[in-house]
Amino acid sequence: MKILKLPKEKLDLFASVVQQFGELHAPVEQDGRYVFKRLTRWSDARLEYDRTILPPKKYFLPPREALFRYRPGEGFVPNTDGLDQRIILFGVHACDVYAINILDRVFAGKYKDPYYQARRKNIAIIGIDCLPDKQCFCRSMRADFVDHGFDLFFYDTGDYYQALVGTALGDDMVLATGNLFEPVDAAEIDDYKRRSWNKRRAFQVDVEIRDLPEIFEMEYQSEIWDELGEKCLSCGSCSMVCPTCYCYDVADDVELGSRAGKRTRLWDSCLFASHALVGSGENFRGSRSSRIKYRFYHKQRGFVAEYGRPSCVGCGRCVSACPVHIDVVQVIDRLRRVEDVASR
Amino acid sequence: MLLADEVSSHHPVLSDNPYQPHMARIVRIYKMVENNHLFTLRFLEDHLAHSFRHQPGQFIMLSIPGAGEMPISISSSPSRPEVLELCVRRVGRVTNALYRLRTNDVVGVRGPYGNGYPMQEIIGNDLLLAAGGLGMAPLRSLLWYALDHRDKFNNITLMYGAKRPEDMLFREELTALVDRTDINCLLTVDADPSATWKNHIGRLPSLFDHAKIDPMRTYAAVCGPPVVYKFILQRLLELSFPKNHILMSLERRMKCGIGKCGHCGIGYKYTCLQGPIFTYWDAINLPEMI
Amino acid sequence: MSKPTVGIFGLTGCAGDQLVILNCEDQLLDLVSLIDIRDFLMASSENNQDCQLDLALVEGAVLSNRDAETLRAIRKRSKLLVALGTCAVWGGVAAMNRGADRDADRDALLEEVYGDIGRGYDSTPAQALHEVVPVDFNITGCPIEKEHFLAAVASLLNGDLPLYPEYPVCTECRMRENNCLLIERGLLCCGPITVGGCDARCPDLRVPCVGCRGPAGDANAGSLVAVMEEMGFSRPQLAARLRTFAPGGVA
Repeated sequence: MKILKLPKEKLDLFASVVQQFGELHAPVEQDGRYVFKRLTRWSDARLEYDRTILPPKKYFLPPREALFRYRPGEGFVPNTDGLDQRIILFGVHACDVYAINILDRVFAGKYKDPYYQARRKNIAIIGIDCLPDKQCFCRSMRADFVDHGFDLFFYDTGDYYQALVGTALGDDMVLATGNLFEPVDAAEIDDYKRRSWNKRRAFQVDVEIRDLPEIFEMEYQSEIWDELGEKCLSCGSCSMVCPTCYCYDVADDVELGSRAGKRTRLWDSCLFASHALVGSGENFRGSRSSRIKYRFYHKQRGFVAEYGRPSCVGCGRCVSACPVHIDVVQVIDRLRRVEDVASR
Repeated sequence: MLLADEVSSHHPVLSDNPYQPHMARIVRIYKMVENNHLFTLRFLEDHLAHSFRHQPGQFIMLSIPGAGEMPISISSSPSRPEVLELCVRRVGRVTNALYRLRTNDVVGVRGPYGNGYPMQEIIGNDLLLAAGGLGMAPLRSLLWYALDHRDKFNNITLMYGAKRPEDMLFREELTALVDRTDINCLLTVDADPSATWKNHIGRLPSLFDHAKIDPMRTYAAVCGPPVVYKFILQRLLELSFPKNHILMSLERRMKCGIGKCGHCGIGYKYTCLQGPIFTYWDAINLPEMI
Repeated sequence: MSKPTVGIFGLTGCAGDQLVILNCEDQLLDLVSLIDIRDFLMASSENNQDCQLDLALVEGAVLSNRDAETLRAIRKRSKLLVALGTCAVWGGVAAMNRGADRDADRDALLEEVYGDIGRGYDSTPAQALHEVVPVDFNITGCPIEKEHFLAAVASLLNGDLPLYPEYPVCTECRMRENNCLLIERGLLCCGPITVGGCDARCPDLRVPCVGCRGPAGDANAGSLVAVMEEMGFSRPQLAARLRTFAPGGVA
């Protein structure tokens, strides 16, 4: 992999040059939190942000998206609006890049989702390294570092950003800046290692995921699920803010006085009562406890069977977005806890 | 450099879109049972009608423009191509919209999806089909596939039970099988108020008394409401059926049919990709499956 | 095919939902070309009060015997009856303290509000439409969303019942990437238990949700109340807010 460095004071120059590759989007502040947004000026970008309210998922799988327009006689005509828009996401954290890599696998496979894939192709990602706060457990989820899925990835090494070039497009961006980037030398490599070491020590939250699938199986009947079911509001907040929740609903609507209309998909959540409801009226997950169990089970156990790792990346968003303080880290800790058999 | 319109005509969303419904004409509506009509469809485009191939047990996503899309199992056999037969129960918004359509109206179809029955494994063995109520709909594809390729199977047994004769799906064609010697076709109803029924009367599991089943060389395809699974599975397990020879067809909510939308998840499997045909072994290992 | 006959009615309420219909300015001409509005007192001086209706849209809650009779008469002449707006669907503001309302001596209550002349007024504790007659479906909201009304007409013209979101306001609020007023600012926001469909209009303007659309399908008010108590809100304070638009609370 090509590794270069960019002097920090040249970052805004770099930003102005890469705009030729697409519309520049970066985290900006919104009432003390951060959101990915189109930049109107570079100075609005907040690269030291903790986490955005919504993950970059919103660019690849928008909350609402028209899939088809229907016209009698024409049938279903795919909607291509917005798919070819070139965007550069500047300042994506490793966990969020990791999450996009997970979504890549879901939306690929035997049946490729052409909407997702078109956006993925046209949206460039410039990653940036970060330091953990009290909600981050990406390291436990092995998502504190990514080796692919980005075009460029920047590590803050003091006076420089060390840049990993991930794709040909990333290389084109580097080249377009003329000679802004410089080769790295041994001192900067040491800077990187020092930062990596410091980052590792900065994690305050740790979850053990080894053999977690088996423990989920063993605790399938645990009373934890009933307690969580009592608490959960089924508000869907955790699913909306999750960088790897991809469930969607599809709805058709018609125009007034016509059979013409459009087919839209929109974000959905397995916590909603209708999620597993079938036409005959049977609901396979009618209780809130069965639904929240399914959510944890699918992320931490089901996904492991399917893709070899949990789909959780440890970004901490669901923890801060839950109005009733349901905390995945605490749930896993409790599932792992050795209870005194006698007191059961 | 491609021009803008060339770019869009090459767009995978237009050229290779797994969500794209293909329009099909309703060529026949057969009012089989009240609120369980059999719809025969044919793709408007001839090449699709010729090339559509499915496995018994697979399903399609059916679009009723303006009302929505839903999964429907294919009731016709791959051995009888060119048209698709769908036995659709009138239960919700989309099926209500379908029931308002007439012959010659147009619907959308994409698929086939799902794993279907493991034909490579089944071929060369005995086949037991056990259905209750509406469970005959997905089994009918397998039934006719087996009868149309009769030499590929050993003994074939069908056990089908409904509440009353008038609730029995495919009643005419199934009662015509009773006298055939190449299949042991056992039909039963719980009650026969009209006193016209010439076959068995009694619960579905009682048909086991009339069948000779060798569990070691038989694959059992079971479909029906939960109560059917409960009692049929019980009988099959009593006969020491290998758990992976018991094949169940499941129904789940689906919005995509291709493993993306998340609705049909059971444990770590998606009904649309790894199902809808699951073995009893799968069922034991996946929570909340039945 | 002849145009479906439609009646639009208001029981006791603010008429805001009927106003939303009249405010569909860009679609009004299309609407009247597609449906035959026979009875709409608020908008028309020539009404047929006896004809059969394919569709009746009824706004407001039932607050008097007269309301109840009017509603029964509408039901009798209509194939489909739609409750329009939160008052019609849930009882609305008038039903916020229905328990106390029912227990109280009605005449004393009327006298307290209207003075001597109040005694003998035709007044009953507020009821939602479904408590008086069978309702075919609901379009909730205070007022209703214009798009939901238009979607209902569009669907019904095709013979389909319309579909509305069952998820709570939070879902749409998160989709819009708003800051959470409940978690971040400690405000009493009913978003988690109030049915969505409004695109989180109020929280998007940093105004906490007051629950005006009524409860979400699977609302877990008990759990939300417990957390809000931990945040320092008192039970009466919470009860008052949660009960504003639906009797017994957004629960």
